Amino acid sequence: MALRDNAIIGFAETKIEARAGRHVWELGGEVLESLIASTGTEKAEIDGMLINASISGAGNCFWSQTTAEFLGLELDFCQTVDIGGSSAVGAVARAAAALDAGLCTTILLLNIDTQATDQATLNMRSFHDEWQYPQGLLGGPADFGLLSRRYDHLYGLDVEALGKLAVTQRNHALLNDNACEKLRKPITVEDYLNSRMIADPIRLLDCVMTCDGGNGLLMTTRKRAKEKGLDNFAVPLGYGERTNYRANENLTDITETGHCIAGQKAFAQAGLKPQDMGSYQPYDDFLIAVMIKLEMLGFAKRGQGAAFIKEHNLAHDGDLPINTGGGQISAGQPGLAGGGVNLIEGVRQVFGKGGARQVKNREYALVTGIGGLRYVRNWNTSTALILGAEG
Amino acid sequence: MSEQMNDTLGVKRQPPPHFSFSEPYWEATREGRLVIQYCRKSGQYQFYPRPVSVFTGSRDLEWREVSGRGVVFTYTVANMARPPFAGHTPFLVAAITLDEGVNVIGNLINCPLDKAAIGMRVRKTWAPLPDGTNLLMFEPDE
Repeated sequence: MALRDNAIIGFAETKIEARAGRHVWELGGEVLESLIASTGTEKAEIDGMLINASISGAGNCFWSQTTAEFLGLELDFCQTVDIGGSSAVGAVARAAAALDAGLCTTILLLNIDTQATDQATLNMRSFHDEWQYPQGLLGGPADFGLLSRRYDHLYGLDVEALGKLAVTQRNHALLNDNACEKLRKPITVEDYLNSRMIADPIRLLDCVMTCDGGNGLLMTTRKRAKEKGLDNFAVPLGYGERTNYRANENLTDITETGHCIAGQKAFAQAGLKPQDMGSYQPYDDFLIAVMIKLEMLGFAKRGQGAAFIKEHNLAHDGDLPINTGGGQISAGQPGLAGGGVNLIEGVRQVFGKGGARQVKNREYALVTGIGGLRYVRNWNTSTALILGAEG
Repeated sequence: MSEQMNDTLGVKRQPPPHFSFSEPYWEATREGRLVIQYCRKSGQYQFYPRPVSVFTGSRDLEWREVSGRGVVFTYTVANMARPPFAGHTPFLVAAITLDEGVNVIGNLINCPLDKAAIGMRVRKTWAPLPDGTNLLMFEPDE
């Protein structure tokens, strides 16, 4: 058994809302019902579940089993995945490992969060309260402000390229009915450049907006998928993950991330190259993360991410479609279910269900995750997943 | 014209929570001394305080006083901030590479925006906290 002996047989997603006004488990129920219906699966067949550690669920030390209880699931394998925005992508590899090990046969991968409705803040038992917040360094935009300034120092920060990325993703959100309605308004490069500074050089339109939402996948073995008579599914072909890249070095280059390791591993396992990808669905908490990952994953040389963005058509009908659903920046970030936004879009494209934004080449898609932010570093966990179409 | 930056000296901060293994740092700040952890086995400093050496996993760590001098590694401008920092923007937050080879985050004060630059020499300065400890900040080293 190997990663590619497993199959994603269904995907589901709620609409992303600025404030859903519903309990987080209601979104979970919506995702579950949709997956059962779209895959012709009986609820009783689901014997495994992975769920993201959500902000609205923070403080519940029994998060996965309580969620399973509320959804009426009887399980042989049940686990919370707590690698932040990397949890959704990381769950695919963990589910495959669980299927390979015979821990379960049909597994629900659920990502839900109602951070906006609950007005919940991230409960981090970490370095922030002692070493970062007292200095007024108050969150993601400030961390990415430090990162962006350093990138500017090393390579020059091309804000026109970031603006192009902002516009491309926004245009994709206009074609995505599940994107947050507040964000479904066209923007121009000038709008991006003129948006107010939050943590110079981070502008408002560099950032995600906190929303509510849920999404999920259903996975089983490829053998079982075929036995069920399913003829269209996505296969995980390559995966890489790295947490706390260069943890035992003091002065690291903060523009270099664990994706250089995770990406190499994923491409090697899949036997593919960046040029083979039909679409690229990178985790996008901030636009510069998308650009840096182009460099880390081998699409562009170091410092050449902006040139790559300017030289390529990144639209859904272009030569490298990027975040074809709008990404989190233009579809909304449903808290720590946010990693699922990019993942579900990758799966959707591989299934050929992209509708008005379907990419030309659905054979392969690359999805990434980013989880957690570090102290004068980039991020904690970097993940890369290559999906292939079957059927 | 240079944009004058605010500082955060007037922010009413509560003393931050301390982990057990960072107490020596905070105690030394009462006397205006900056001490950081040093791993004897690897001969390297580390920051922020950890329960073990991040280089070897050993608990054989000692606290050494350092000069508090270094260079700006990177910085950002807090243009927006929530309480208790609201109303104090814009202010500069920097990561400083101390001469001993670790990066430390601190406010950069007494520094107009057009003067702030990566590579600029800085030195430590302290902002008092209500419990008698001090918060580390930096200013241009001229």
